[in-house]
Amino acid sequence: MAIAQNILDIAVAAAERGGAQKITRVNVVAGEMRAIVPPQLAFCFGVAAENTIASEAELNLEIVPVRGRCRGCGEDFAIKDFSYICPGCGGRDIEITGGTELRVRDIEVL
Amino acid sequence: MKINVMTDVLEANDRIAAANREIFNRNRNLVVNLMSSPGAGKTTLLERTAEALAGKAKLGVITGDIETSRDAERIEKHNIPAVQLTTGTACHLDANMVASAFPYLDLSRIDILIIENVGNLVCPAEFKVGEDCKVMILSVTEGDEKPLKYPLMFRESSLLLINKIDILPFTNFNMEEARANALKMNPELEILEVSCTTGQGIEEWVSWLTQCWQNRVESLRSA
Repeated sequence: MAIAQNILDIAVAAAERGGAQKITRVNVVAGEMRAIVPPQLAFCFGVAAENTIASEAELNLEIVPVRGRCRGCGEDFAIKDFSYICPGCGGRDIEITGGTELRVRDIEVL
Repeated sequence: MKINVMTDVLEANDRIAAANREIFNRNRNLVVNLMSSPGAGKTTLLERTAEALAGKAKLGVITGDIETSRDAERIEKHNIPAVQLTTGTACHLDANMVASAFPYLDLSRIDILIIENVGNLVCPAEFKVGEDCKVMILSVTEGDEKPLKYPLMFRESSLLLINKIDILPFTNFNMEEARANALKMNPELEILEVSCTTGQGIEEWVSWLTQCWQNRVESLRSA
Protein backbone atom coordinates (compact mmCIF):
# COMPACT_ATOMS: atom_id res chain seq x y z
CA MET A 1 0.00 0.00 0.00
CA ALA A 2 2.84 2.38 0.85
CA ILE A 3 4.40 1.60 -2.51
CA ALA A 4 1.11 2.25 -4.32
CA GLN A 5 0.74 5.57 -2.50
CA ASN A 6 4.29 6.59 -3.44
CA ILE A 7 3.66 5.72 -7.09
CA LEU A 8 0.49 7.81 -7.03
CA ASP A 9 2.21 10.79 -5.36
CA ILE A 10 5.05 10.74 -7.89
CA ALA A 11 2.62 10.45 -10.83
CA VAL A 12 0.33 13.23 -9.61
CA ALA A 13 3.28 15.56 -8.91
CA ALA A 14 4.67 14.95 -12.41
CA ALA A 15 1.25 15.52 -14.01
CA GLU A 16 0.76 18.77 -12.12
CA ARG A 17 4.20 20.00 -13.13
CA GLY A 18 3.27 19.23 -16.75
CA GLY A 19 -0.07 21.04 -16.41
CA ALA A 20 -2.09 17.89 -17.16
CA GLN A 21 -5.77 17.51 -16.22
CA LYS A 22 -5.96 13.74 -16.03
CA ILE A 23 -3.64 10.74 -15.85
CA THR A 24 -4.62 7.83 -18.09
CA ARG A 25 -1.71 5.48 -17.55
CA VAL A 26 1.24 5.11 -15.17
CA ASN A 27 4.16 3.01 -16.39
CA VAL A 28 6.24 1.47 -13.63
CA VAL A 29 9.41 -0.58 -13.99
CA ALA A 30 9.71 -3.18 -11.22
CA GLY A 31 12.64 -5.52 -10.74
CA GLU A 32 11.76 -9.11 -9.97
CA MET A 33 13.79 -8.82 -6.75
CA ARG A 34 11.25 -6.37 -5.33
CA ALA A 35 8.68 -9.16 -5.12
CA ILE A 36 5.85 -6.94 -6.28
CA VAL A 37 2.57 -8.80 -6.76
CA PRO A 38 1.00 -7.02 -9.77
CA PRO A 39 -2.74 -7.57 -9.04
CA GLN A 40 -2.26 -6.55 -5.44
CA LEU A 41 -0.34 -3.40 -6.35
CA ALA A 42 -2.95 -2.53 -9.00
CA PHE A 43 -5.70 -2.92 -6.42
CA CYS A 44 -3.92 -0.72 -3.86
CA PHE A 45 -3.17 1.86 -6.54
CA GLY A 46 -6.85 1.95 -7.50
CA VAL A 47 -7.86 2.58 -3.90
CA ALA A 48 -5.20 5.27 -3.39
CA ALA A 49 -6.14 7.00 -6.66
CA GLU A 50 -9.82 7.45 -5.83
CA ASN A 51 -10.87 11.12 -6.09
CA THR A 52 -7.57 12.17 -7.66
CA ILE A 53 -6.66 13.07 -11.25
CA ALA A 54 -5.43 9.46 -11.55
CA SER A 55 -8.76 7.89 -10.60
CA GLU A 56 -9.17 6.36 -14.05
CA ALA A 57 -5.50 5.67 -14.67
CA GLU A 58 -4.26 2.24 -15.56
CA LEU A 59 -1.18 1.04 -13.67
CA ASN A 60 1.13 -0.76 -16.07
CA LEU A 61 3.94 -2.81 -14.56
CA GLU A 62 6.96 -3.93 -16.52
CA ILE A 63 8.71 -6.67 -14.56
CA VAL A 64 12.49 -6.77 -15.10
CA PRO A 65 14.23 -10.11 -14.51
CA VAL A 66 17.20 -10.25 -12.13
CA ARG A 67 20.55 -10.18 -13.94
CA GLY A 68 24.06 -10.52 -12.64
CA ARG A 69 27.66 -10.25 -13.76
CA CYS A 70 30.35 -12.54 -12.41
CA ARG A 71 33.27 -10.54 -11.01
CA GLY A 72 35.46 -13.60 -11.57
CA CYS A 73 34.98 -14.42 -15.24
CA GLY A 74 32.84 -11.50 -16.42
CA GLU A 75 29.92 -13.63 -17.54
CA ASP A 76 26.60 -11.77 -17.73
CA PHE A 77 23.60 -13.97 -16.99
CA ALA A 78 19.96 -14.09 -15.91
CA ILE A 79 19.59 -15.11 -12.28
CA LYS A 80 16.95 -17.79 -12.08
CA ASP A 81 15.36 -18.90 -8.82
CA PHE A 82 17.54 -16.37 -7.01
CA SER A 83 20.65 -18.49 -7.41
CA TYR A 84 23.63 -16.15 -7.18
CA ILE A 85 26.15 -18.57 -8.60
CA CYS A 86 27.89 -18.00 -11.95
CA PRO A 87 26.81 -20.61 -14.52
CA GLY A 88 30.17 -20.10 -16.31
CA CYS A 89 32.76 -20.63 -13.56
CA GLY A 90 30.72 -21.42 -10.44
CA GLY A 91 31.92 -18.16 -8.84
CA ARG A 92 29.91 -16.59 -6.04
CA ASP A 93 31.10 -13.01 -6.36
CA ILE A 94 28.18 -11.71 -8.38
CA GLU A 95 27.35 -8.09 -9.06
CA ILE A 96 23.62 -7.55 -9.53
CA THR A 97 23.14 -5.57 -12.74
CA GLY A 98 19.35 -5.51 -13.01
CA GLY A 99 16.12 -6.53 -11.37
CA THR A 100 16.33 -4.43 -8.22
CA GLU A 101 14.82 -1.23 -9.62
CA LEU A 102 11.43 0.19 -8.72
CA ARG A 103 10.76 3.32 -10.72
CA VAL A 104 7.92 5.33 -12.21
CA ARG A 105 9.17 5.47 -15.83
CA ASP A 106 6.57 7.78 -17.36
CA ILE A 107 2.92 8.74 -17.25
CA GLU A 108 0.37 9.24 -20.02
CA VAL A 109 -1.87 12.25 -19.52
CA LEU A 110 -4.64 14.31 -21.08
CA MET B 1 0.74 12.91 -24.16
CA LYS B 2 3.56 11.19 -22.36
CA ILE B 3 5.56 12.76 -19.51
CA ASN B 4 8.91 11.21 -18.62
CA VAL B 5 9.28 10.74 -14.89
CA MET B 6 12.09 8.28 -14.07
CA THR B 7 11.67 8.67 -10.32
CA ASP B 8 12.52 5.95 -7.86
CA VAL B 9 9.34 4.93 -6.06
CA LEU B 10 11.07 4.97 -2.69
CA GLU B 11 12.99 8.19 -3.32
CA ALA B 12 11.09 10.11 -0.63
CA ASN B 13 11.84 7.39 1.92
CA ASP B 14 15.50 7.14 0.91
CA ARG B 15 15.93 10.89 1.36
CA ILE B 16 14.63 10.72 4.93
CA ALA B 17 16.77 7.63 5.56
CA ALA B 18 19.83 9.65 4.51
CA ALA B 19 18.85 12.42 6.95
CA ASN B 20 18.45 9.82 9.72
CA ARG B 21 21.89 8.52 8.82
CA GLU B 22 23.39 11.98 9.39
CA ILE B 23 21.83 12.09 12.84
CA PHE B 24 23.17 8.61 13.66
CA ASN B 25 26.63 9.67 12.45
CA ARG B 26 26.58 12.72 14.69
CA ASN B 27 25.62 10.62 17.69
CA ARG B 28 28.02 7.80 16.79
CA ASN B 29 25.29 5.17 16.90
CA LEU B 30 25.60 1.75 15.36
CA VAL B 31 22.12 1.16 13.97
CA VAL B 32 20.81 -2.32 13.29
CA ASN B 33 17.53 -2.97 11.48
CA LEU B 34 16.24 -6.22 12.98
CA MET B 35 13.72 -8.13 10.89
CA SER B 36 11.89 -11.44 11.03
CA SER B 37 8.50 -13.13 10.82
CA PRO B 38 6.08 -12.55 13.71
CA GLY B 39 7.02 -14.78 16.61
CA ALA B 40 10.55 -15.60 15.46
CA GLY B 41 11.97 -14.10 18.65
CA LYS B 42 12.92 -10.47 17.97
CA THR B 43 11.79 -9.12 21.33
CA THR B 44 13.22 -12.07 23.27
CA LEU B 45 16.52 -11.61 21.45
CA LEU B 46 16.52 -7.96 22.51
CA GLU B 47 15.94 -8.95 26.12
CA ARG B 48 18.86 -11.41 26.00
CA THR B 49 20.98 -8.78 24.22
CA ALA B 50 20.20 -6.19 26.89
CA GLU B 51 21.41 -8.59 29.59
CA ALA B 52 24.55 -9.62 27.70
CA LEU B 53 25.54 -6.07 26.71
CA ALA B 54 25.12 -4.62 30.20
CA GLY B 55 28.35 -2.82 31.10
CA LYS B 56 29.84 -3.24 27.60
CA ALA B 57 27.79 -0.87 25.46
CA LYS B 58 24.68 1.25 25.87
CA LEU B 59 21.72 -0.21 24.04
CA GLY B 60 18.62 1.61 22.81
CA VAL B 61 15.60 0.20 21.02
CA ILE B 62 12.96 1.49 18.65
CA THR B 63 10.28 -1.11 18.19
CA GLY B 64 7.50 -1.19 15.64
CA ASP B 65 4.20 -2.97 15.98
CA ILE B 66 0.87 -2.65 14.30
CA GLU B 67 -0.85 -2.31 17.70
CA THR B 68 0.02 -2.38 21.43
CA SER B 69 3.15 -1.28 23.29
CA ARG B 70 3.88 -4.67 24.83
CA ASP B 71 7.29 -5.02 23.18
CA ALA B 72 8.63 -1.72 24.53
CA GLU B 73 7.32 -2.59 28.01
CA ARG B 74 9.20 -5.90 27.93
CA ILE B 75 12.42 -4.18 26.88
CA GLU B 76 12.14 -1.30 29.36
CA LYS B 77 12.14 -3.81 32.22
CA HIS B 78 15.83 -4.29 31.40
CA ASN B 79 16.52 -0.55 31.94
CA ILE B 80 16.96 0.02 28.23
CA PRO B 81 15.51 3.17 26.63
CA ALA B 82 12.81 1.93 24.26
CA VAL B 83 10.34 3.74 22.04
CA GLN B 84 7.30 1.97 20.72
CA LEU B 85 6.00 3.00 17.31
CA THR B 86 2.54 1.74 16.48
CA THR B 87 2.24 1.66 12.74
CA GLY B 88 -1.55 1.34 12.57
CA THR B 89 -1.98 -0.66 9.40
CA ALA B 90 1.54 -0.49 7.97
CA CYS B 91 3.42 -3.78 7.83
CA HIS B 92 6.89 -2.22 8.11
CA LEU B 93 8.75 0.75 9.56
CA ASP B 94 9.85 3.43 7.12
CA ALA B 95 12.44 6.17 7.54
CA ASN B 96 9.87 8.77 8.54
CA MET B 97 8.35 6.60 11.29
CA VAL B 98 11.83 5.96 12.70
CA ALA B 99 12.57 9.71 12.66
CA SER B 100 9.37 10.29 14.66
CA ALA B 101 10.94 8.35 17.57
CA PHE B 102 13.97 10.68 17.87
CA PRO B 103 12.33 13.23 20.22
CA TYR B 104 11.75 10.40 22.71
CA LEU B 105 15.30 9.01 22.71
CA ASP B 106 18.57 10.58 23.80
CA LEU B 107 20.67 9.24 20.92
CA SER B 108 23.84 10.80 22.35
CA ARG B 109 23.59 8.35 25.23
CA ILE B 110 23.18 5.28 23.03
CA ASP B 111 25.98 3.21 21.46
CA ILE B 112 23.95 0.55 19.71
CA LEU B 113 20.45 1.31 18.49
CA ILE B 114 18.41 -1.69 17.42
CA ILE B 115 15.32 -0.99 15.37
CA GLU B 116 12.95 -3.89 15.81
CA ASN B 117 10.90 -3.90 12.64
CA VAL B 118 7.33 -5.14 12.26
CA GLY B 119 7.17 -8.95 12.00
CA ASN B 120 7.08 -9.56 8.24
CA LEU B 121 9.58 -11.03 5.78
CA VAL B 122 8.65 -8.88 2.79
CA CYS B 123 8.06 -5.14 3.21
CA PRO B 124 10.66 -4.25 5.89
CA ALA B 125 13.43 -5.20 3.45
CA GLU B 126 12.22 -2.53 1.02
CA PHE B 127 12.43 0.50 3.29
CA LYS B 128 15.80 1.84 4.40
CA VAL B 129 15.64 3.65 7.72
CA GLY B 130 19.26 4.89 7.91
CA GLU B 131 20.73 1.72 9.36
CA ASP B 132 24.30 0.39 9.20
CA CYS B 133 23.14 -3.14 8.60
CA LYS B 134 20.18 -5.45 8.53
CA VAL B 135 20.03 -8.53 10.73
CA MET B 136 17.31 -11.12 10.36
CA ILE B 137 16.06 -13.92 12.53
CA LEU B 138 14.72 -17.18 11.13
CA SER B 139 13.35 -19.60 13.70
CA VAL B 140 13.52 -23.33 13.09
CA THR B 141 9.74 -23.70 13.27
CA GLU B 142 9.38 -21.58 10.13
CA GLY B 143 11.07 -24.02 7.77
CA ASP B 144 14.40 -24.24 5.96
CA GLU B 145 12.99 -23.15 2.58
CA LYS B 146 12.25 -19.57 3.70
CA PRO B 147 15.32 -18.03 2.03
CA LEU B 148 13.96 -19.16 -1.33
CA LYS B 149 10.59 -17.55 -0.67
CA TYR B 150 11.81 -14.19 0.63
CA PRO B 151 14.94 -13.50 -1.41
CA LEU B 152 15.19 -9.75 -0.90
CA MET B 153 15.39 -9.93 2.88
CA PHE B 154 18.06 -12.64 2.85
CA ARG B 155 19.91 -10.77 0.12
CA GLU B 156 19.94 -7.50 2.06
CA SER B 157 20.90 -8.90 5.46
CA SER B 158 24.45 -9.00 6.82
CA LEU B 159 23.73 -11.56 9.52
CA LEU B 160 21.19 -14.34 9.85
CA LEU B 161 20.37 -15.63 13.31
CA ILE B 162 18.78 -19.08 13.24
CA ASN B 163 16.79 -19.06 16.48
CA LYS B 164 15.08 -21.68 18.66
CA ILE B 165 17.75 -24.29 17.96
CA ASP B 166 16.95 -25.82 21.35
CA ILE B 167 13.83 -27.32 19.78
CA LEU B 168 15.54 -28.35 16.54
CA PRO B 169 15.21 -32.11 17.28
CA PHE B 170 11.43 -31.76 17.40
CA THR B 171 11.15 -30.13 13.98
CA ASN B 172 11.84 -31.23 10.42
CA PHE B 173 14.09 -28.19 9.91
CA ASN B 174 17.22 -29.18 8.01
CA MET B 175 20.08 -26.93 9.13
CA GLU B 176 22.37 -27.79 6.20
CA GLU B 177 19.56 -27.09 3.75
CA ALA B 178 18.71 -23.76 5.43
CA ARG B 179 22.33 -22.62 5.38
CA ALA B 180 22.74 -23.65 1.73
CA ASN B 181 19.53 -21.87 0.70
CA ALA B 182 20.51 -18.70 2.53
CA LEU B 183 24.05 -18.66 1.13
CA LYS B 184 22.76 -19.25 -2.38
CA MET B 185 20.78 -16.00 -2.02
CA ASN B 186 23.62 -14.15 -0.36
CA PRO B 187 27.11 -15.71 -0.33
CA GLU B 188 28.37 -12.96 2.01
CA LEU B 189 25.74 -13.68 4.68
CA GLU B 190 27.06 -14.57 8.13
CA ILE B 191 25.02 -17.16 10.01
CA LEU B 192 24.82 -17.83 13.75
CA GLU B 193 22.72 -20.50 15.46
CA VAL B 194 21.12 -19.25 18.67
CA SER B 195 18.55 -20.08 21.27
CA CYS B 196 17.11 -17.13 23.15
CA THR B 197 15.61 -19.61 25.63
CA THR B 198 18.79 -21.46 26.64
CA GLY B 199 21.18 -18.61 25.80
CA GLN B 200 23.17 -20.71 23.33
CA GLY B 201 24.93 -18.54 20.72
CA ILE B 202 24.01 -15.27 22.44
CA GLU B 203 27.63 -14.60 23.35
CA GLU B 204 28.68 -14.95 19.68
CA TRP B 205 25.84 -12.64 18.60
CA VAL B 206 26.80 -10.00 21.16
CA SER B 207 30.46 -10.13 20.13
CA TRP B 208 29.41 -9.76 16.47
CA LEU B 209 27.37 -6.73 17.51
CA THR B 210 30.10 -5.10 19.62
CA GLN B 211 32.64 -5.74 16.84
CA CYS B 212 30.35 -3.90 14.39
CA TRP B 213 30.01 -1.06 16.88
CA GLN B 214 33.79 -0.79 17.32
CA ASN B 215 34.27 -0.79 13.54
CA ARG B 216 31.65 1.92 13.26
CA VAL B 217 33.28 4.13 15.90
CA GLU B 218 36.65 3.54 14.23
CA SER B 219 35.39 4.52 10.78
CA LEU B 220 33.69 7.65 12.13
CA ARG B 221 36.92 8.67 13.84
CA SER B 222 38.98 8.31 10.67
CA ALA B 223 36.33 10.05 8.53
